[in-house]
Amino acid sequence: MPDSAPASTDRTIELRVLRYRPELDGHPFFDHYTVAYSDDMSVLQGLQVIKDSLDSSLSYRWSCRMAVCGSCGMMINGAPRLACNSFLRDLAPGPVTVEPLENFPIERDLVVTVGDFVKKIEGIYPYLIPKTARRLEEGEYLQTPAELAAYESFSDCINCMLCYAACPQFGANPDFIGPGAMAILQRYNGDSRDGGQQQRLDRIHGEDGVWSCTAVGLCSDVCPKQVDPANAVNQNKTKSAFDFFLRFLKRETGQ
Amino acid sequence: MSEYRPFHRPQRPFWWARAPYRGYSLRELSGVGVALYGAVLLAGLACLWRGPAAFASYRAWLATPGSLLLHLLLLAAMLLHMVTWFQTLPKTMPKLIIGGVAVPQRRITALGLATALLCCAALLGAAIGAAS
Amino acid sequence: MSKRSTAPIFWLLFGAGGMVAALIGPALILLTGVMAPFDLGVSFPDYGTLLAFARHPLGKLALLAVIALFLWHGAERACLTLRDMRVGPGWLLSWATYGIAGLGSLITLSLLLAIGF
Repeated sequence: MPDSAPASTDRTIELRVLRYRPELDGHPFFDHYTVAYSDDMSVLQGLQVIKDSLDSSLSYRWSCRMAVCGSCGMMINGAPRLACNSFLRDLAPGPVTVEPLENFPIERDLVVTVGDFVKKIEGIYPYLIPKTARRLEEGEYLQTPAELAAYESFSDCINCMLCYAACPQFGANPDFIGPGAMAILQRYNGDSRDGGQQQRLDRIHGEDGVWSCTAVGLCSDVCPKQVDPANAVNQNKTKSAFDFFLRFLKRETGQ
Repeated sequence: MSEYRPFHRPQRPFWWARAPYRGYSLRELSGVGVALYGAVLLAGLACLWRGPAAFASYRAWLATPGSLLLHLLLLAAMLLHMVTWFQTLPKTMPKLIIGGVAVPQRRITALGLATALLCCAALLGAAIGAAS
Repeated sequence: MSKRSTAPIFWLLFGAGGMVAALIGPALILLTGVMAPFDLGVSFPDYGTLLAFARHPLGKLALLAVIALFLWHGAERACLTLRDMRVGPGWLLSWATYGIAGLGSLITLSLLLAIGF
C-alpha cells in the first residue's frame, strides 16, 4: 500500500471524476480533485487517495489491482481502460477525466449496471456440454496444444466489459449480445471437449445476436487480455450465415 | 438503502465522426465507392446496348478531366477498401492452427494483399498484352 | 432460438462483392478509368469487340458478377453506415439501399440479355 501523502516535492495531478448519487443528484456532474502522485501510481490508486483523504463518498468497483479481475473498467480520458492498468505518470500533466464505462446505465458515480451482461453470458450455456456422457473410468479428456490454441485466447476473458464500452453497435442497441458474451460463447464452441456448438449457435442467429455487429473491431483493440472478441463475433457470422442456408440440408438428413 | 435510479447517458449522435470511429466510417464509405464504380460500369453497359453512337459519347466522357478525377477518387476508395478488407478478413475466420500454433492475423492479411496485388498485376498484364 | 435475421443473405452478397473488389477492383478502375480513356498502355477495344465480349456467355457472367456484386457490396455498407448515422428507421434504409442494388442488378441482367448472344 503506497503512501497516500508522498513527499512535498512530488507532482500533483487533477482528476475530473463524473459523479452521480441518485438520492442527491438529478443528473451526473464533474467533481475535481488534485492528487499528489508518484511514478508507480495507477488511476485506481488515485481514486483510492480521493476516497481515503479527499471525498469518502466516491464509489467505484475494484478488487485485484492487477488487471485480472475485470472490476475497475472505466472511461479514462475518453477511452475504456482498466483503472488499475492506467498510470498517472502516463496521463500527466492532466487533467485526467474519469467517467463510468460508456454505453451502460450509471448506478452511482463510477459504478455501472452489469446485470444485463451477466444475463447474456448465462444465456449462451457458459459451460462444457460433453459430446457423449463420459464415465470416470475413461479418465480425463486429452487435448493437444493445437486444440488448446483454437480457443485459448477466448478463455482469457476477465469480463471487464471494456469491449462493450468501445462497441458503438452495443451503444445503439443494448440488447446486442455483444463482444464479451460472444468471446465466452466461442471459448466453449471452440473447445474440442464440447458438443454444444449448435445449441449455442442457435442463440445468436437474430438481430440481437451476431448480426448487430458491423465489424468496427474496436472491441479487440481495447481488450486488456488480447481476447480478440471481434474474431469471436465475426467468425460466428460466417457460421450463422452458412447455417442459414444449410439448415434445410440438416433437416433432410434427419438431424 | 439509497434510491436506485440508474442514469442512462444517450449515445452521442455523431459518434461515427469522432475518434476512434473515424477510420471505421471511412472504411465503410470506401465500400460505397465500390458500388459507385459498379454504377459507372453499368452506365457503360447501357451505352453499349444503345449502340455505337451512345458508346462513343461514353468513351468521350471517360476522357474528360471530370471523369478522370472521379476515377482517381474511386481508385483511392478501392485501394482503401482492399487494404481494410484483408485486415478484417482474418476476423471472420476461425483460428487457423498450423503446427500447434495459431497463424497470426497479420500473416493472413499479408497473404491476402499479396494475392490481390498478383491478381491486379495479372489483369493489367493481360490487358496490356492483348492491346500490343 | 432467437428470431433469425435475414442479414446472412445480404452479408454473403456483401462478402462476395467485397472479395472481387479487393482482388481486382483497383486494376479494373485503372484500366477502364485511367489507362484506356487516355491510351496509356492500353486503348479501348472498338465497339464490335466490346459487343462480342458482352454477347459471349463468359463475358456476360463477368459483367454481371462485377456490376451486381459491387452494387450489393456498396448497398450493405451504405445501409449500415446510414443506420449508424441514424438517418432514418432501419427498415426504410434496408429497403432503399437493397432496393437500389436489386434494381441495378435487374437492369444489368436485362441489358445483358437484350444485347443478345
